[in-house]
Amino acid sequence: MNTVPARPLGAFSDLWRSSATRLILGYGALFAAWSIVLIGAISWETARYLENVVDQILEQRVHFFTSVERARLPELLAATTSLDLRGVMSYGLFDADNRYLLGDIDQLPIDLPVDGDVHALPHGVRRLSGQHGTHTRGVALRRDADELVVVLVRDYGAVDRVGTIIRGSLLWAMSLTLIPGLLGGFLLARGPLHRVRSIEAAIEPIMRGDLRARLPTSSRHDELDMLSAIVNRMLDQIERLLGEVKGVSDSIAHDLRTPLTRLRAQLYRLQRESLDSADGALLIERCVGETDVLLDRFRALLRISELEDLHRRAGFGQVDISDILRRAHELYAPLAEDAGIAFSLQAARVPPVTADPDLLFEAITNLLSNAIKFTPAGGRVVLASGADQRGARIEVRDSGPGIAPHEREAVLQRFYRTPHGQQRPGFGLGLSIVAAIVRLHGFRLEIGANEPTGSRITILCAPEPA
Amino acid sequence: MARILTIEDDAVTAGEIVAELQVHGNQVDCAASGTDGLARAIAGNYDVITLDRMLPGLDGLSLVKRLREAGVRTPVLMISALSDVDERIRGLRAGGDDYMTKPFAPDEMAARIEVLLRREARQQETTLRVEDLSLDLMSRSARRGEASVELLPIEFKLLEYLMRHSGQVLTRTMIFEAVWGYRFDPGTNVIDVHMARLRRKIDAGRTPSLIRTVRGCGYVLGDAA
Repeated sequence: MNTVPARPLGAFSDLWRSSATRLILGYGALFAAWSIVLIGAISWETARYLENVVDQILEQRVHFFTSVERARLPELLAATTSLDLRGVMSYGLFDADNRYLLGDIDQLPIDLPVDGDVHALPHGVRRLSGQHGTHTRGVALRRDADELVVVLVRDYGAVDRVGTIIRGSLLWAMSLTLIPGLLGGFLLARGPLHRVRSIEAAIEPIMRGDLRARLPTSSRHDELDMLSAIVNRMLDQIERLLGEVKGVSDSIAHDLRTPLTRLRAQLYRLQRESLDSADGALLIERCVGETDVLLDRFRALLRISELEDLHRRAGFGQVDISDILRRAHELYAPLAEDAGIAFSLQAARVPPVTADPDLLFEAITNLLSNAIKFTPAGGRVVLASGADQRGARIEVRDSGPGIAPHEREAVLQRFYRTPHGQQRPGFGLGLSIVAAIVRLHGFRLEIGANEPTGSRITILCAPEPA
Repeated sequence: MARILTIEDDAVTAGEIVAELQVHGNQVDCAASGTDGLARAIAGNYDVITLDRMLPGLDGLSLVKRLREAGVRTPVLMISALSDVDERIRGLRAGGDDYMTKPFAPDEMAARIEVLLRREARQQETTLRVEDLSLDLMSRSARRGEASVELLPIEFKLLEYLMRHSGQVLTRTMIFEAVWGYRFDPGTNVIDVHMARLRRKIDAGRTPSLIRTVRGCGYVLGDAA
């Protein structure tokens, strides 16, 4: 198979696509074609040989009849046909002027030259008995003694029948070989297909990002196992490389954080010791502020990395969404009010979801923080929950500038900021943290437009459809 | 003056901790390994201990467990490079009283140490008082002088925390942890806005404010001790 189908494997179409099936079918076609050539050659050779033999007999007989006495001729000719039980032989005797004398052929066939050689009679020959063979050959010869013409005609149907028998038996042999072969082939192809499906199942978690998973191998060490082993080695390498890349970026963030923390500590000490100079104190305060911004970014970066590393679900439990929403609303209400934004809570009663309550809260606060940051004074921010057939959902709607459709993927990446976001504080990491938390839960994050303006960000608290 | 034991194998970090705590007028001893640290912690009669999570010899978790088994109740601030929530829970379960992740701001560390030092002295009170501000924990009401102060539930919780630790510097992280119960960074301005509202309510125009902002660090209610 060249391409991995995106849809799940279907039963019959995949059996058809399997390499073993194709091999069997291809081989079957080759076998059938070759058998047909072989049968054709054998039956043609046999027919030619039999024809030769019969031709020789006919020639010998006609020569014999031209050499016997005139008086014995009718008797000998009659004896020839009387021995011929199947009635394949017929004869005719004509005088010097080609007039009929005796025999069951009463007319000299026009397409038969009188030369003692055997010729095919494509139009057959008309007999007195009414028989009319399709495949007939004949010979005619003029006697030297009395100028009489002896005509012998033989029906070659028997030769054809031999060919038919040979062809028939070979066809039988072929189908007896081919049909079980094809059936066996289909059965054989099903085994590898079954294993391809188990490989597909094993690859699913890898595609979802769990690089620790590996393909199954059996103890047979066949081609599929060899292939799986190669892919597993490749996955080892990819996992190692990704781990290194992540390790490098993590340790950069971590290593830079330590001197930054120390820098901030020194600045803080300086600030406490130089209270006499107001200008100096202000300058140092700004430095502390900038260092805090840097530290916040590193903290957020490491937080994302930490969230991506979390495979555990220890903190997971049944969570009441409306309670989390109420707390988040309580935390952000004063900030929104100070910014002149109407911030409302529309918590509908929804069934509890399986989640880590602290992480869910963190995700919601990041969404709220962004919404309040980007919504101008006089605007509106709504924190809502609801449920439909897809499950519970948490929604943050704002009346800010919104996120353009082509930017909706990009805003989830680290450090990305929309053109509107460029002028405001914020680290472009908030949505990445939300995305990481949502991914950890197996939930879905949807970014859409709010009516009439602004954005609508939804966390769908339902597992991703398989 | 408090006696503090710092158990930390990294000399630079140990130096920072010692310097910061000495600035606050404490007497600080250092131990560079787990076994040495445990011996001193049991024998030394310290007021508070800072403990690195990962140590040569005996690791921090086992150390604090043994310490508690030996009947030593000295408050322990655990300091760890492992920031995972599970690690924190494990540290507190083993017997630690507070948990900080590296790298940390020294002032934050000092503030946490201060809270641990004073904790021992706290009584179970039903009314908290700082100057003319009083908070009745039973009726859940607040008064400044003769006037009563109307507080939202979250403001009440915030004020209670500040008053229980009056005179101590409380960082935004500590406040967010204690009042809201979450351990991530919500961004400084969220807490600041809450503080500003509480301050407006309890001060009611009086100056200087009862709540002081400590620049680059946090807040303190009442006079710093």
